[in-house]
Amino acid sequence: MGIVIAVISGKGGVGKTTATANLGLGIAINNKKCVVVDFDIGQRNLDMILGLENRVVYDMVQVMDGEANLKQALIKSKVNENLHFLAASQTKDKSVLDSDKVEKLVSELRESFDFVILDAPAGIESGYEHTIEFADAAIVVVNPEVSSIRDADRAIGILDSKSAKVKAGDDVAKYLVINRIVADMVESGEMLKSDDILEILNIKLLGKIPEDKGVIDASNQGKPVILDKKSIAGQAYDRISGRLCGQKVDMKDIEVSDAGLFKKITGIFK
Amino acid sequence: MFGFFENKKSATVAKDRLTIAIMSDRDRTNGYPFMDEMKAEIIKVVQKYVGVKDVEIRKEVDGEVEALAIDVELDKNA
Repeated sequence: MGIVIAVISGKGGVGKTTATANLGLGIAINNKKCVVVDFDIGQRNLDMILGLENRVVYDMVQVMDGEANLKQALIKSKVNENLHFLAASQTKDKSVLDSDKVEKLVSELRESFDFVILDAPAGIESGYEHTIEFADAAIVVVNPEVSSIRDADRAIGILDSKSAKVKAGDDVAKYLVINRIVADMVESGEMLKSDDILEILNIKLLGKIPEDKGVIDASNQGKPVILDKKSIAGQAYDRISGRLCGQKVDMKDIEVSDAGLFKKITGIFK
Repeated sequence: MFGFFENKKSATVAKDRLTIAIMSDRDRTNGYPFMDEMKAEIIKVVQKYVGVKDVEIRKEVDGEVEALAIDVELDKNA
């Protein structure tokens, strides 16, 4: 039985899809069987970031509607055989999702993968709610910038009220990834510090990703930046993937200890 | 004297503004997880006696005190 993690942000354009692609591949590189699912129906993007856009035959809506089976729709990455991908429908709109269908798909994926990573749509509408409903945990992606942080707080609020786990009296684990940090702006007091963001959102840190031009270069080519060993963002995704797989990876130039976080994340698998 | 604000770094300004905006967002929008179900049940109960147009439930926070404000709009034609 695998773990289901929704990648959420509230605001669009903060790097949610890039994070999903890189963490999915990073987990696969750590020898865990991983599937990444694009829940952004009508605005398919994860296929491009993974370089798999030409291999999509069936999408997740067709699987949910019984027009294709899961085996037919899953695309195996050529970069790493542990990584699989399930595309969003490009022609339908978000209203095609319903709870029963989503639950069935998610539990089917959970049976065959160690990690099921769901790339949520931006916003806090029904498409978002369906993505988080059956997730065990959420990774919240923000930029160190006011609108992203405010929108993330709304998304977290909805997670805390609509998650099936919360409704059953359980907790849904939440971890923060701060993307696009510019170190010298933080030093000069022109960019929010990670500690301040964690305090405002009241959430635990999973990792920090520095601003890196290599990210756009990587998405141009459809090769996730984690494959570029020299990229500082790629290295950050590599560290976060290690943490998700239960390794003790020190939080690079971060002032808070990740000992507690490490225990919590590994605890998910027990 | 007004140099105080000028010297304040923009990240500090961002933190202060965000703290206030998020606190007010949470008060206004984040209710309790049971509110949708409670609303449906209230409609059912009231409808036994009189027609209901809409029910609105709000969480109101005043310092340490939390309260629920429930408005039931009746439907005279029902």
